[in-house]
Amino acid sequence: MNVVAFNRSIRQFFFPSLTPKFLIRALLVALCAYLFFGHICIPLHIKGYSMEPTYRNGSVNFLWKLGYLFSKPKRHDVVAVRFAGKRVMLLKRVVAVEGERIEFRKGRLLVDGKEIDEPYVRYPCDWNLPPRQVEKDSVYVVGDNRSMPIEEHHFGQTSTKRILGVPLW
Amino acid sequence: MVKIRFLIMAVIAAGIVVLAIFYLFPSEEMKVKKQFHLLSDWVSKDPGENVFTTARKTQRIGSLFAEKLELKTEIDSMSGSYSPEEISSLATRGRLMFSSLSLKFYDFDISFPENGIAKVILTATLKGRSTTGEYVHETHEPECILRKIERRWLFSNVEIGEVLKK
Repeated sequence: MNVVAFNRSIRQFFFPSLTPKFLIRALLVALCAYLFFGHICIPLHIKGYSMEPTYRNGSVNFLWKLGYLFSKPKRHDVVAVRFAGKRVMLLKRVVAVEGERIEFRKGRLLVDGKEIDEPYVRYPCDWNLPPRQVEKDSVYVVGDNRSMPIEEHHFGQTSTKRILGVPLW
Repeated sequence: MVKIRFLIMAVIAAGIVVLAIFYLFPSEEMKVKKQFHLLSDWVSKDPGENVFTTARKTQRIGSLFAEKLELKTEIDSMSGSYSPEEISSLATRGRLMFSSLSLKFYDFDISFPENGIAKVILTATLKGRSTTGEYVHETHEPECILRKIERRWLFSNVEIGEVLKK
């Protein structure tokens, strides 16, 4: 390939001619990108400290919506819980599933009376929460950062229908 | 090439016409959404907001509500019935506690179960900094009922849904 032809192909790449073929290709790429990043693998901007240090405030991730296509959320999974739509979500960790009894005693998580090891909780915690049963088709979610008083942390049980997916990493 | 350019220009022109039609003849859904945008604008507060803006905004807030607003929240002391004047007064007091405040709405799900009634489920986020320096960030999923009274959509019921139940 000579220099002129090379320059022409570079120019064609950055400044393509508006041919029907190009327009169809651009439209298909835009459609695929919209479907993939709008409905399957949604970009996330994490705001807040409730999942520290696992997920840092200000970090970027993707929400993989096919994460629970063939399975149900299980303990220790990190999930995104939706509000009315997918613009604002809560990133939390599943600590108990339906039918289980959960409680916090001096910061330790107990499920059905047994202490659960939580290596992802790095900050000291002194939470106390009386036992409660997780309802049918629900999971109990809590953030990894439990350094704040229990009243200030947003956690609890939610319907599995609200779980949109899992963070990609 | 000329044909393609003509086609692109035709698509742009059609887009402008469609936008103009939407702007000039808004649907009922857009009119309902507009009430939320107004509420967001009038509740929000920029740092250093002057007293005239504060007075103008808080006076207008009441005009978005019906004669009686039924509010239902998990905080029992806040649940109850409020008149537009009471809402304006509460908004004034609430805004005074913050140096900056931002109320935003997302993910509108609007339906019209009956003629003249709109049911809206959406996500609401309230962010702000109190005058004592405390940072506030709350997100909720309210279900709102708006009634069309004298050609205006007014808030008549607001129920704050519980996404996580402790």
